[in-house]
Amino acid sequence: MTSMGGKRARSLTPVETAQASVMGALSAALAIVSVVVPFAGALSLLVTVPMGLLGYRYRLRVLLAATFAASAIGFVIAGISGFMVVLNCAYVGGLTGIIKRRGGGVPTVIGVSVVAGVLNGLFIIAVLTVLVRLRTLTLEAITANVDGMLNAISAMPLLRESAEQMRLITAAVLRNWPVLIMVNSIFSIMLVSVVGWWALSRVLERLRGIPDVHKLEAVEETAPVAPLPIRMSQARFRYPGADHDALLPLNLTIDSGEHVAVVGANGSGKTTLMLLLCGRPPTSGRIDRPGSIGLGQLGGTAVVMQHPESQVLGTRVADDVVWGLPPGTRTDVAGLLGEVGLSGMEERDTGGLSGGELQRLAVAAALARQPSVLIADEITSMVDQRGREALLGVLSGLADRRQMALVHITHYNNEAEIANRTVNLSDSVDNMVMVGSTAPPVPTATVISTSAPSSAVPVLHLDGVGHVYGSGTPWAKTALRDVSFTVNEGDGVLIHGGNGSGKSTLAWIMAGLTTPTTGSCLVRGRPADECVGDVAIAFQAARLQLLRSRVDLEVASAAGFSPWDTHRVASALATVGLDGSLARRRVDQLSGGQMRRVVIAGLLARWPQALILDEPLAGLDAASQRGLLRLLTDLRLNTGLTVVVISHDFAGLEELCPRILHLESGMVDAASQATGAAGGVS
Amino acid sequence: MSATRQRRPVVLLRPVPGTSVIHQLWAGTKLIVVLVISMLLAFYPGWIVIGLMAVLVGTAIWLAHIPRGAMPSIPWWVWALVLFGAITATMGGGEPVLHLWSTDIEVGGLLKFLRITALSIVLLALGALVSWTTNVADIAPAIATLGRPLRPLRIPVDDWAVVLALALRAFPMLLDEFRLLYAARRLRPRPVLPDGRAKRRRWLTDMVDLLAAGVTVALRRADEMGDAITARGGTGQIAAAPSRPRRADWMALSICAAVCVLAIVLEIRGLS
Repeated sequence: MTSMGGKRARSLTPVETAQASVMGALSAALAIVSVVVPFAGALSLLVTVPMGLLGYRYRLRVLLAATFAASAIGFVIAGISGFMVVLNCAYVGGLTGIIKRRGGGVPTVIGVSVVAGVLNGLFIIAVLTVLVRLRTLTLEAITANVDGMLNAISAMPLLRESAEQMRLITAAVLRNWPVLIMVNSIFSIMLVSVVGWWALSRVLERLRGIPDVHKLEAVEETAPVAPLPIRMSQARFRYPGADHDALLPLNLTIDSGEHVAVVGANGSGKTTLMLLLCGRPPTSGRIDRPGSIGLGQLGGTAVVMQHPESQVLGTRVADDVVWGLPPGTRTDVAGLLGEVGLSGMEERDTGGLSGGELQRLAVAAALARQPSVLIADEITSMVDQRGREALLGVLSGLADRRQMALVHITHYNNEAEIANRTVNLSDSVDNMVMVGSTAPPVPTATVISTSAPSSAVPVLHLDGVGHVYGSGTPWAKTALRDVSFTVNEGDGVLIHGGNGSGKSTLAWIMAGLTTPTTGSCLVRGRPADECVGDVAIAFQAARLQLLRSRVDLEVASAAGFSPWDTHRVASALATVGLDGSLARRRVDQLSGGQMRRVVIAGLLARWPQALILDEPLAGLDAASQRGLLRLLTDLRLNTGLTVVVISHDFAGLEELCPRILHLESGMVDAASQATGAAGGVS
Repeated sequence: MSATRQRRPVVLLRPVPGTSVIHQLWAGTKLIVVLVISMLLAFYPGWIVIGLMAVLVGTAIWLAHIPRGAMPSIPWWVWALVLFGAITATMGGGEPVLHLWSTDIEVGGLLKFLRITALSIVLLALGALVSWTTNVADIAPAIATLGRPLRPLRIPVDDWAVVLALALRAFPMLLDEFRLLYAARRLRPRPVLPDGRAKRRRWLTDMVDLLAAGVTVALRRADEMGDAITARGGTGQIAAAPSRPRRADWMALSICAAVCVLAIVLEIRGLS
């Protein structure tokens, strides 16, 4: 950093930029939610935490940038008042964070907050001194209101005297408005600072031990950009502190025009290889290139990663393609979008794109850099079948057409077929405890007979359910139309649909979290929204459903029993195949698969009427997927648990969910409904 | 069984679909106008200024073809508060006196109250107008352009614009995450607690738990976003199209300036 010298070093790094923007957005979201949603009123005491965190971890420049972003969002949403609310939160939050970093304690917080309160009070007094008319108007309006109230009170003879006294006091206070403002400013800032300090300390305690998932690191380079050909000889990598190599010694040459597929099991070092290609020095062995790597530079190395949502940085499709290019670079946005099959979508909002479209957009943005090497790191793993095919179509022939090298890292063996050659990292793994590569998910036949012990007792009954978001507004969007079906006790139902088919809305309605605009959803005869919690739902983002810090606390809280009841905690964990020793583990130290299981343990411990799982397999590796499926299937067959799975894939779900409902643009496919009827509806 | 009446939600940062003269204005123009009108109302909160600004904002809303449905439902307690305020202010009395049939009503207090209320409504409508007609993607580039004169003062305007653009991109994702967190909390059984104090403490720990979960997810998002920025070779362009005012913008700014000057002149004349 220091060697960059001068002006450049002071500019924000990518990590700082990302932290500032996400924490700024979080702070603005909290402040606005706390104003708009009445239940969250006291949430406003905690809105200082994100900025505190930023002040604690990063330099002042980052804090200022985040403050600017947050208050600008406040300004756009609620004008000057929104701006002031957010600015205040950032001011107090930033102060507490900086004090925390400097190792100060509560006395320091109180001391500093008094000074901050005085400064803030002086500022408001100065502003109101200038804004004479606004001040007079406000004071007169307050006087009128107070007088009116006191007049009403004086009508009662007993209270007349105290009302008169109150009138005098109010008049005196309002006459000395600067004092009132100063006292109010000092006390409110002190209160918010102390509460914010307390909350920040608690949150920081909870954040200890959260793994850093940040991977890429830009390398400082002076040579001209020329990453090809890459020659790796006996390149090996071991993470600091690890007891085994993440990548075993590898010999590999990659040159222009080549499409190289890298396959291998989880843990065979696929991602590590990507990092080495992006500039991490190997632990031993050599990697030679004629020039510098030029990560993200024109003619350098471009990377597309796994998570569709986080790849895309622009709010509008065209903006995302050029995002980060040096100012003044001219780009043929329409041509690039055409190349990845997104023609004519320049003006679309990236928020509305499906996972597959987002990934293709990320490829277009990578191609905008005219890279010599494009690394695609498991870009299809979080995308549905249709999106996967489209993405592979884009990658196929790309290396040849653009005369660049394409390194395609994938989990699925058949994706490697379009490559010129394949490097199998699993071959080099000597301890074969790792799981083998998987066959790609293939759509299976939809008509499958029920093999499960399905009774004819209806648990969930949906009748003509329809839902419109924002109904009555110009943004009204129909998510579901006239959906009717019944789920019986012990059923296993897969609700299958693509992006935007309304399947998540349906899940929320069945769990009672959303009240449908039309029709009814009954759980054993009672409207679902009147018995929230009777039908359990496990969201795709398992981490968001784990609200407590430790596994035992979490399970106990979700199930509603005491965390000291170790026996029940252990038996709940045993239900989902987790060892009781995990009970004291912190939730942030769990793997993705374990998180899902802990969520399910908490839900099942309440004996729900049915269990809804939203994309239960997304983001899990092959082994965890298989294990979770086995567990759920066993639970359904052995305990008669009613299971509803919401997914865009069929892979391996046949046994868990013999019955399939297809959802397309908010409607249940007629054919699949017939299948459903065959599956045991009277 | 029949369609239930739904409350219209507050929709944040999403323009009303369709296009209009106002939609097509440069985002920077709209930000300047909001700033200028807010300042004007802060300095001269008189009836004439409020009225003229209401007409200006009203015309813009009409030009932008904003349907009535764009306005969120107003909860009953807001009406109740306004009514309560109006009644107490009326009882406060004061000049001038209104002669209604044979009774004299002092309406001074009421007028003050109405003026403050009208002022707030105009300011809210002004903010809503911007959020109803501006694509979020246009805001950060416009601020980068507007902030250009600040560069010599060593204010990192470009860094700020990038951070703002990314924050606006992350904002809806974070709102979704909050919706999920709230739902996850609703699904849980409520612990039965003996007294108010235990309840309050429980509530506070609950809030910290929620916040910790939210912050954890946000940090992960930030890590991934940092990777994505690194993969793009750092920051640079944030928009494909140039962001600058056009002819219509100069016209809009002139109209706004003219109305503001007129308002000030009338206000000062009216008082002397």
